[in-house]
Amino acid sequence: MSTALYTQLLNLVAGAFLLTAVLILWRRELTAIIDVFALQGVALAALVGIIAVAEGSAELGAVAVGVLILRAGVLPWVLRRAAASAGVVQRETKPLVNVVSSLLAAAALTLLAYAVSQPLVELAPSPATHAIPVGMAVVLIGFFVLVTRRLALSQLVGFLLLDNGITAVGFLTATGVGLIVELGVSLDVLLVVLVLQVLKTRMREAFGATDLDELRELHD
Amino acid sequence: MNTVQAGLLTAVTFGLLSALAALLIARPARSAVVGVGIAVCGAGALVAGVAAMAGQVAWFAAPDLLPLSGVVFAIDPLGGAFLAVTGGVAVATGIYGIGYCRGGLDGRLVQCMLPLFVLAMMLVPAAAGVGTFLLCWELMALTSLLLVLAEHRRRPEVASAGRWYAVMTHLGLVAILIGLLIFAANATDSTFAALRLAGHHLSPGLAALIFLVTLIGFGSKAGIVPLHAWLPRAHPEAPSNVSALMSAAMVNLGVYGIVRVGFDLLGGGAAWWWLLVLALGALSAVYGILQAAIGTDLKRLLGHSTTENMGIVLVGVGAAGLFTASGDLTLAGLAMAAALLHIVNHAAFKTLLFQSAGSVVHATGRRDLDYLGGLHDGMPRTTAAFGIGALSASALPPGAAFVSEWLLLQALIHGLPAGVSATIVMPLAVAAVALTAGLAVATFVKAFGVGFLARPRSREAECAHESPPSMLAGMGLAAAACVGLALLPTLVLPTIGAVAGGVVGSGDPVTVTATTIALTDFAGSLSPLLLTVALVIGLVATLAAARALATRRAAREARLWDCGAGPLSARMEYTATSFAEPLQRVFDDVVQAEQDVDVTHHRESAYLVEAIEYHRRVPDRIERRLYEPVLAVMAVWGRVGRRLAPGSVHRYLGYGFYSLCALLILLVVTR
Amino acid sequence: MNAPSVYGTVGVILQLLIVIGLSPLLIGMMRQLRARLEGRAGPGIGQPWRDLRKLMRKQRTSPRGTSEVFRVAPLLLVATCLVVAAVAPFVTTASALDPVADLFAVVALLTLGTVALALAGLDTGTAFGGMGASRETTIIALVEPTMLVAIFALSVPVGSTNLAAIVTSGLDDPAQVFSPVSLLAAVALIVVIIAETGRLPVDNPSTHLELTMVHEAMVLEYSGPDLAMVELASAMRLTVFLGLLANLFVPWGIATSGSVPVIAIGVLAFVVKVAVLGAALAVGEVFLAKLRLFRVPELLAGSFVLGLLAVAASFFLA
Repeated sequence: MSTALYTQLLNLVAGAFLLTAVLILWRRELTAIIDVFALQGVALAALVGIIAVAEGSAELGAVAVGVLILRAGVLPWVLRRAAASAGVVQRETKPLVNVVSSLLAAAALTLLAYAVSQPLVELAPSPATHAIPVGMAVVLIGFFVLVTRRLALSQLVGFLLLDNGITAVGFLTATGVGLIVELGVSLDVLLVVLVLQVLKTRMREAFGATDLDELRELHD
Repeated sequence: MNTVQAGLLTAVTFGLLSALAALLIARPARSAVVGVGIAVCGAGALVAGVAAMAGQVAWFAAPDLLPLSGVVFAIDPLGGAFLAVTGGVAVATGIYGIGYCRGGLDGRLVQCMLPLFVLAMMLVPAAAGVGTFLLCWELMALTSLLLVLAEHRRRPEVASAGRWYAVMTHLGLVAILIGLLIFAANATDSTFAALRLAGHHLSPGLAALIFLVTLIGFGSKAGIVPLHAWLPRAHPEAPSNVSALMSAAMVNLGVYGIVRVGFDLLGGGAAWWWLLVLALGALSAVYGILQAAIGTDLKRLLGHSTTENMGIVLVGVGAAGLFTASGDLTLAGLAMAAALLHIVNHAAFKTLLFQSAGSVVHATGRRDLDYLGGLHDGMPRTTAAFGIGALSASALPPGAAFVSEWLLLQALIHGLPAGVSATIVMPLAVAAVALTAGLAVATFVKAFGVGFLARPRSREAECAHESPPSMLAGMGLAAAACVGLALLPTLVLPTIGAVAGGVVGSGDPVTVTATTIALTDFAGSLSPLLLTVALVIGLVATLAAARALATRRAAREARLWDCGAGPLSARMEYTATSFAEPLQRVFDDVVQAEQDVDVTHHRESAYLVEAIEYHRRVPDRIERRLYEPVLAVMAVWGRVGRRLAPGSVHRYLGYGFYSLCALLILLVVTR
Repeated sequence: MNAPSVYGTVGVILQLLIVIGLSPLLIGMMRQLRARLEGRAGPGIGQPWRDLRKLMRKQRTSPRGTSEVFRVAPLLLVATCLVVAAVAPFVTTASALDPVADLFAVVALLTLGTVALALAGLDTGTAFGGMGASRETTIIALVEPTMLVAIFALSVPVGSTNLAAIVTSGLDDPAQVFSPVSLLAAVALIVVIIAETGRLPVDNPSTHLELTMVHEAMVLEYSGPDLAMVELASAMRLTVFLGLLANLFVPWGIATSGSVPVIAIGVLAFVVKVAVLGAALAVGEVFLAKLRLFRVPELLAGSFVLGLLAVAASFFLA
């Protein structure tokens, strides 16, 4: 693949990556959030795939397929099942920071990510490393979602965004991320999701709802 | 392979095997197998230690075993001395534990931790690098903590004792860690050899800082005032063989640390360091024995006595340091030899005392002297053992501690160090040692007389039975060591004198013949053996004369003088509380006991008294003045901190997020 | 250790004979002197020996409930006094057992005797026995610092705590006796001796009121030969302590060589010195009343300060 095509495709996919993160901040319905998250998984897989094709590495291609299956297939499926078992379609009605402010915050975080990532980019300028700020921005936006959303499932999606961003930065900085590391991280994430799933079900059985703000009463 | 290596290998192998066996073997045989294993491990350590003191060296390095620092062991004569002491104590307590642990204490965890504790205590004096030292130290702390908590299901106070011990030992570890890391940062790498080379070139302020910080950690482990609060809590609540191990072997390692860092690694140091050590030692000795003289819990009394003895050892170490700083090397060697001999003697008699106390608790279930008594009928051998231990502990001839205190006093009175302050220090040190000796006599007369003699004061004491043979065997070993050290200290003194001379850089401070100890360079000699022989001859002669001159009529049994009012009940006997009451009154300013008297009047008339209840508590004054304010400040801080944690998950996550963003912004701005 | 020389052995035997034989007479002399000063006729100097003879003829009793400690304590008490009488330099400076003739060892041996008696008091299980033991051990505990500091003061000019060395240095340098160090140390030691031997003002040896007893309360249950041994032992202790006080501070007359006239002078000097000190003690007791138990620590603290000053003086004037 020629360098120009590579760079263009990479920028496209990186842009899609960032856009999905912002969309998660924008949409209210839980099902929509999960669908956008699945799309982000596809974008991440595409990112890895493009790098694989550019490097000509079959191992990376296998990793791309794995990422696709896990982050665009398995994880959204688990999340959808969790959302469906709640019964009524849930909406993020009153986030701690309202939507407009969230979007402005996302913009600020993206700028911060660009500022912070400059030294990394200057270390080894290449098309891949120019996309690192995008990964950082997704990390920060994911953290922001984690902090400001009320529903347990939205927080979980925020956590998964965080992980997506870290994975993206990992693949962009070192083109040969060990398979073992990726496997380990993914299994870790899967475990976290399952545990939080179970916890959420138990909490609903005990307290009736998973609006985390209502759970303030627990403290001594 | 020389003797040291062979001994250590045996010890390590048997220790690990015993720990493994504890996990695998079934309950009936478990305590026996582990006990024998610990005894063999101890024997190996004893042999290795004695060989090391005689001059053989061994070392072992494995740079990759631990990340960053590697594992390096090296045994020199000083380490060998402490290794030998630990080994000897382990032999006696291992055998004792066979009988003692049967019943409630032979669970897998406890039996597995016992050999690991002994191993860790053995490896601390052998460690020759900062990482290795701290690893072994922490292993020792953790295993001993688990052992202290062994009976937490049976008694609720054990949990509180465990908490105190855990917190204080880890604070001590932090202090030692900081000190040693500062030291290592100023040296080429973290082995003791490198630290030794760097120690000579450190600035006085930095060296003083390192010494003071490590003194806090090591002093706390040795039970020195004001960091002693864990000792009288942990020792009573731990099982008796664990108390013996802790008191007779573990607290010595605090002294080892001070001597190693102060004399060996920092190369002597300034005089004021050792003045501080001496002052702390004297204070601990007096305070410890005062608390022991006034207390009535047998095992807590023995714990306080450990503080006292470690205080005396530190007086010796401090004097040795002072004399080194003023150039008087022979005297320094003498003081250090006295300190080391006292450590050996203390290990012997403290093991014996804790073992007999454990025997008493095993038989009666009671620790309080006020409820014991009359045990000489049912437990004659335990009584004899405690008597030997008490004689040794009270520093009277022909006891073991008399020899080491004699040596210490000789060192103190021959010192004429320069400086007016030191002129005041020596007599005060002699006075402090003398006061502790007097109070120790009072304490052990009380413990032996009230606890074992006269008539039983409770049903449990009446029904006391003798201990099983393995416990008696363990006590017998420790008693043999006490008697041997009392009569023939000339066997161990040459080696100990050589080690002491090596530490301070002088020649042999004592010359010994078969029976007599003589001081080199000074006029003074003592022969414990001759003294005992003379005493025995006197006894026999008196007995013979009495038999010859007295009337031939047979002895008759008589009633005790009861003023004609009828048979004496057990309630009329003097208790430990009443025995110590004059001392408590004399030292009331320091002790400040709290007393409550509740008078219940008769139902029908306020002039008639139905019952009077008297409660007396002796709180630890240093704890009250020093610890409670610190704990109060921490509680206030905790309450303030609670406001930071109201229970909202969002807030907790927010803390993380906002601090991350702040850090990133800071990074960008300051680049 | 060198084998004891002939004259050393002779000296030991003489010392033992004098201490055992003449100590009850010392007590008798003190009591007679007090009686005369108080306007009484007095029982005569030989009364303590008559008492001992009477006690030896009585049947031995053994109280119910006591153990071996009660039976062995009088023997141990007498044995410690015998050992000290044998090794300390009273008649000659050549001690039979030089390594044992250390001042620390000697006072520790005497303390061992007291401890044996305290244990016997506790062994009886009576309230009086316990009380006596408790008071006695309190006094021992408080006397130790003064004693050892006074020994320290004595040893500084000599450079050793060996008894023979201290006595010999006193012989060689008479002016030392009148130095402030010696005087302060002597006063401190006098208080120590009064406390250790249980004389007024610390303890009244002739009281009949149990609640005022210290030493007597511990031995309340003894009778017959055991009581005889205890009485003999307390007489010997007083003799030994007074002998030590005399020879440490006023050593003239002690035999330093082996010829018969020198030894005879040594014997005579010892007897005279101890008798004079005993008489002074007896006269002093006439004018003193027993101190309340809780005033005794004040007395002992005062003597401790004197001992400490003695040490400080020995450093500064060395």
